[in-house]
Amino acid sequence: MTIASTTPYKLASAKDLFALTKPRVMTLVIFTAICGLLAAPGAIHPVIGFTAILATSLGAGASAALNQWYEYDIDAVMKRTADRPLPAGRMDRDTALHFGIGLSVFSTLLMGVAVNWLSAIILAFSIFFYAVVYTIWLKRSTPQNIVIGGAAGAFPPVIGWVAVTGEVTLMPILLFAIIFFWTPPHFWALALFMNSDYSKAGVPMMPVVAGRQSTRNQIAVYSVVLALCAIAPFAIGATGLVYGVAAIMLSLAFAVLSFRVRASRTDVAAEMVAEKQLFKFSILYLFVLFAALVADRMIFA
Amino acid sequence: MDNKDLAMTPEEQKAYQAKQKQRALIMAGLLFFLVVLFYLITFVKISSSIS
Repeated sequence: MTIASTTPYKLASAKDLFALTKPRVMTLVIFTAICGLLAAPGAIHPVIGFTAILATSLGAGASAALNQWYEYDIDAVMKRTADRPLPAGRMDRDTALHFGIGLSVFSTLLMGVAVNWLSAIILAFSIFFYAVVYTIWLKRSTPQNIVIGGAAGAFPPVIGWVAVTGEVTLMPILLFAIIFFWTPPHFWALALFMNSDYSKAGVPMMPVVAGRQSTRNQIAVYSVVLALCAIAPFAIGATGLVYGVAAIMLSLAFAVLSFRVRASRTDVAAEMVAEKQLFKFSILYLFVLFAALVADRMIFA
Repeated sequence: MDNKDLAMTPEEQKAYQAKQKQRALIMAGLLFFLVVLFYLITFVKISSSIS
């Protein structure tokens, strides 16, 4: 019996272990993975499809746990993250590490055994990319952290697609590119009006290092590249009109909002209306774009 | 190690055991779910290889 050798406050509750997986972030991962799976040509048995989404979600949860294991010091400084299980002292770091590694191994094996090994390899690489390349290596060392780290969040639709087809073609690469180029304007818009929190934590976010105006200019440039990637599936004839119209309208709106951010000059967070609008719209943008992709496939396939 | 510092009060021990019980119940539920899932996966794999 080990009761007498462990303090009760360090035995993580099930609720805190669940919180360690960042369930809110996971909703976007699950959604884009499902869209990749449904938009892919071919059929997948519902049980195998469910398992692919489950494994992807568990992999995302594993990445989040490893991220929080490493970033407990940053999380403690930022108001938004100070109440997470580790900085709040409700869980010890070893528990988070073991939970993260265990979940990584389990999700990868589940994907490999039940679905296919190519999607398992991509899943394993995405966990490695988020936990090691982004969290441990880039986040604290370069203001390009979001750009490169955004790649980790771009894997779920690729995994969903490969779960069905078993191969990586141009279309899943375009889906990857959409999320990859969507991430910087999405996060930088947030970082512009949350600047003080990131500065306090010493994270070299673009607005802190390069300044607000430089960040605003880059947001505008990324919105143009994003529009090109979003419209590309329609332009090359891989999708139908439903996706094409949605991609053009949404990307136009995204670009207009981004150029309004570029024109903004304020340094006061409360006055950053354009930045807040872009941040809110960016979430809607991704959801509607991917929903349109699935609807297009359902209608035209 | 000083055992006095590590010993729990009866309240702490009760809270600890409640957490342990809650985790054990959730783990049991998860294991049951996985048993069903792996049964279904096996069923689908065998069915598709036969057909």
